Amino acid sequence: MAGKNKIPKKDLSSQKKSGKTKETSKKHDIPEESFYASPLYDLLYPFRPAGSQWMTEYTIVLFSLIIRCAVGLGPFSGYGVPPMFGDFEAQRHWMEITQHLPIHKWYWFDLKYWGLDYPPLTAYHSYICGKIGSFFNPNWFALDSSRGYEAQDLKTFMRLTVLVSEALFYIPGVVYFVKWLGKHRRQSPIGQFIAAAAILLQPSLILIDHGHFQYNSVALGLTVYAINNLLDEFYAMAAVCFVLSICFKQMTLYYSPIFFAYLLSKSLFTPKLFNIPRFLAIAIATVCSFLLMYGPLYVFGGDQGLNNVLQSIHRIFPFARGIFEDKVANFWCVTNVIFKYKMLFTQQELQLYSLVLTVVGFLPAMMIILFYPKKYLLPYALSACSMAFYLFSFQVHEKTILMPLLPITLLYTSTDRNVLSRVSWMNNIGLFTLWPLLKKDGLTLQYWVCLLLSNWLIGNFSFITPNFLPKVLTPGPSVSMIGENYHYRSLLPRNIFWKVIIVLSYIAMGAIHVLDAFVNPPVAYPDLWVILNCTLGFGCFFLFWIWNYYKLFSMIKKSLHHL
Amino acid sequence: MKQSGTVDSKASSNPLTESDEVENEGTTSSRYSLWNFWVCSFALKLLLIPDYYSTDFDVHRNWLAVTNKLPLKQWYYEHTSQWTLDYPPFFAYFEWIISQFVPQVVRDDGCLDIVEIGKFGEPTVIFQRLSVITSEILLFVVLQWFINTSNVKERTQSFIVATSIILSPGFLIVDHIHFQYNGFLFSILIASIVAAKQKRYILCAVFYTTALCFKHIFLYLAPCYFVFLLRAYVLNVKGFQFKSYKDLVRLVQWTNLFRLAGVVLSIVGVCFGPFIFDMPQLLTRLFPFSRGLTHAYWAPNFWAIYSFTDKVLTTLMLKLPYVHTLATRFISAPFFPATIKEIQKRLSEDNNGTKGLVQDVYFIVLPQIVPKLTFILTLFYQLLAVIPLLFDPSFKRFIGSLTLCGMASYLFGWHVHEKAIMLVIIPFSFLVVCDRRLLSSFMLASSAGYVSLFPLLYENQDFLIKCFYTYIWCVIYFFSFRKTTKLSSSVERRIFFFDRLAIIYIVSLLPMVFTVQILNLLKGRYAILQKFEFFGLMTYSFYCSIGIVSSWVGLSWLYNFDEPLWMTNE
Repeated sequence: MAGKNKIPKKDLSSQKKSGKTKETSKKHDIPEESFYASPLYDLLYPFRPAGSQWMTEYTIVLFSLIIRCAVGLGPFSGYGVPPMFGDFEAQRHWMEITQHLPIHKWYWFDLKYWGLDYPPLTAYHSYICGKIGSFFNPNWFALDSSRGYEAQDLKTFMRLTVLVSEALFYIPGVVYFVKWLGKHRRQSPIGQFIAAAAILLQPSLILIDHGHFQYNSVALGLTVYAINNLLDEFYAMAAVCFVLSICFKQMTLYYSPIFFAYLLSKSLFTPKLFNIPRFLAIAIATVCSFLLMYGPLYVFGGDQGLNNVLQSIHRIFPFARGIFEDKVANFWCVTNVIFKYKMLFTQQELQLYSLVLTVVGFLPAMMIILFYPKKYLLPYALSACSMAFYLFSFQVHEKTILMPLLPITLLYTSTDRNVLSRVSWMNNIGLFTLWPLLKKDGLTLQYWVCLLLSNWLIGNFSFITPNFLPKVLTPGPSVSMIGENYHYRSLLPRNIFWKVIIVLSYIAMGAIHVLDAFVNPPVAYPDLWVILNCTLGFGCFFLFWIWNYYKLFSMIKKSLHHL
Repeated sequence: MKQSGTVDSKASSNPLTESDEVENEGTTSSRYSLWNFWVCSFALKLLLIPDYYSTDFDVHRNWLAVTNKLPLKQWYYEHTSQWTLDYPPFFAYFEWIISQFVPQVVRDDGCLDIVEIGKFGEPTVIFQRLSVITSEILLFVVLQWFINTSNVKERTQSFIVATSIILSPGFLIVDHIHFQYNGFLFSILIASIVAAKQKRYILCAVFYTTALCFKHIFLYLAPCYFVFLLRAYVLNVKGFQFKSYKDLVRLVQWTNLFRLAGVVLSIVGVCFGPFIFDMPQLLTRLFPFSRGLTHAYWAPNFWAIYSFTDKVLTTLMLKLPYVHTLATRFISAPFFPATIKEIQKRLSEDNNGTKGLVQDVYFIVLPQIVPKLTFILTLFYQLLAVIPLLFDPSFKRFIGSLTLCGMASYLFGWHVHEKAIMLVIIPFSFLVVCDRRLLSSFMLASSAGYVSLFPLLYENQDFLIKCFYTYIWCVIYFFSFRKTTKLSSSVERRIFFFDRLAIIYIVSLLPMVFTVQILNLLKGRYAILQKFEFFGLMTYSFYCSIGIVSSWVGLSWLYNFDEPLWMTNE
């Protein structure tokens, strides 16, 4: 492996030199290193020699784990806010009820107080975590009496479960994905690991999972496993992983049109017509894994078995809760400022409209995948599809932005600066829309540190350092080596229109933060800053979505190297 | 082996040295910047602000209050809080300077109140944590100076040394979680080491004296500095021929002597001058001899092994009386309890008397240890470390003897604090790049030393952070050192068996740490484990002390018996 990688590296360095002198090197046979001249590149640069490459993986994985642990030292959602507390209490409560109650009561027990409203795999996961926790201290999960329990050790244990779950599901998935792409595009190993580090240090997921407290990384990790299986052409396994992912968190249904189209297309049209064995394999795998997930609910449900399953599904899709709950940066919430939907239409009408809009939103992506089931289209298609859901579907939470952000963030593996810059922009905007939530949780410090650190690492602040630091301190090898006229001082796309948009959105972000921190909103509109936040978020998401579609269409005839 | 070693280090060492065409561009000096490391560690340290802090936090808060609120004369008399000022005056001045920057919000929070037990909230924590982070910038400045002034050929090595120090888990654990100002204090000591490397002896003396006036624990290194400066700066042995005693006068370079003495005394004067009439009080504060042999729990030094042996022997003799009979054949009464009865008597005395106070350790089978003995032992081993320096005042020798001085004081000193291991590891980091044979000794000392700091952070929430951080530090730096250091000579003399043993020892630290942690966690479940409250600490200090003692033995061996290693190429 190391030997094979040596060749492209040499080509790379020679190519880099020529690219530097000519300044424009648009046509690459071998991709340029992503994040060249960023601090992340500089920090991992010493590990370039073949003998040291194994250390890179250790370093990035452990460093991202350390950052996660350190974020976990902060408060969690609903800390010290009785009577309902927050997501932390919800998760703890589920660990409590799953291990004390028989399965047929899980979806029925005291629904007013954080009744279980996630699919069964979450319940099983809670059951396992709860069992382990009870082994150490039964008080943490004692039935009823443990409500609102917030002791330090419990917090540590819960944080640990998130960390372990992420280390099992998300991190290996991402690393494998990055390595697979790197291998098939003959990317240098260090370039792969830089991309992996950029993905693993995505701030939104860290802050929501380890700060706010949720287990999104499990669902997302299973989705990445599914994508990896698609890349390796294990279609039945991909179906299993994706079903597990849905059974962990229903939000991953946002990806389902693409997976459906991809698998269908692979078994019906390409490369040969009607690949029946493959079709059967996928179908059986899907059905079996659903049965495996829901089976226990039916089997142990006694005579109420079917009812039990239906109740769990009913709990998962809370249509009764309205088109949106909190302020969220999607179409409905933002335009609600002008049109008061809840007064104009009934619930059913709204459901229908949102369904129509969503379908119109994701259908082109689904069609493209149906006719061109190409591996390199997957991230774009997944992000277009999930973004359509985020923007137009019913009952969206602000945390749901993590779903579109996953495929978008996977595009950090791209070597095209135009893509990278937009991906990092999306990550920033995505995190920005989470700000009201994180502020409420008391995670201000963690928010700023993660936001700034992740941007700094991938080189968004590189335009500052060479200008303001004394020459002695010019950071890192690559920044020192590049010429004065090096083109890319920070991650911005080539196109002037997009440059302006991105810079303006950053300025608006800063302005909203300043307003939020120092100015009280007018009495008539107490949520004004949050609305502004959502509006900006929606605008940026929408623009990105349009660009994403453009990219998806223009990528159809290209290859993996152009990702 | 040697051949492959050099090829290996050339091919796979830091690639920065290889890219010749870039070096010609004239950007060599700017390439090794600590800037990126500073930003990264800064981010991590900010995230650690809400973490656990020890009583040292209140200690330093109290000192802020004392220096801010009281006139200078009373600083060393104030005793409202039990955390009285017991650092030398420079540190008190430093606290006074920090206290000038305390904003109103933090004042209102109770940061500057002289009270018995501090009552403060988040603002104080943020302020004090930030003061540590800010003062630590000096460490980065000094190490950047070290890199920039080092030889172009050695620059990769210097860079690795510098980053290994600034990213050291010791500083992270002790300063940014446990709470102290070691990063800042050690930066002054490091400055003196860098000055010594550049042969700027006056500067070296200035920095060392300043460091000493900040934290008197650096006094342990004094013999080494004294001999080094004496030999390298004051004495002139070149061309010296002894004919009569008059010639001895010419041996001393009097101008240098006066210059040195003037500088040192004036710094000490600035430091202690304002307290000249309160010296006795100040000294009792600085050197509290009333404390016991070992600190609250055992620092992993020689005495940890000693008391562990005592515990084992006691149990052994009570369970198997004939061991005692056998032993009495060789050792007689004053050094050894004569009968089993006496052992039992001593044991019951110990249980009744001082069980709660761990301050003083009482040995049951082995002879008691008095302060005098520890001082004699420390001085003796320091002397051994210093004598070769008298003959050869090269930088390598100096740094070697500095490390050994630190080790001797750590291993045999009275009331040694586990944090004092930094006194060993920091000089050792400068030494280890000289030769690869020093590496296994360094690996032992640093891994065991850092792991021995773990019990400082006893809360479960810090467990993974300290483990991950130390682990990745060890992996990165042990391998980087291995790649960049050369085998200077005499490979045949290298004893491979001990290297393997050292690796096994280091790897077994992991199961040790995890077992102790799991036993700790199960305490709530199995009441029987509560009986072994101190078992975890004992395991830590005993196991780590083995590593540190063997590291000391290995280093001493190389220091005393491996001449080629210490030869300078100049």
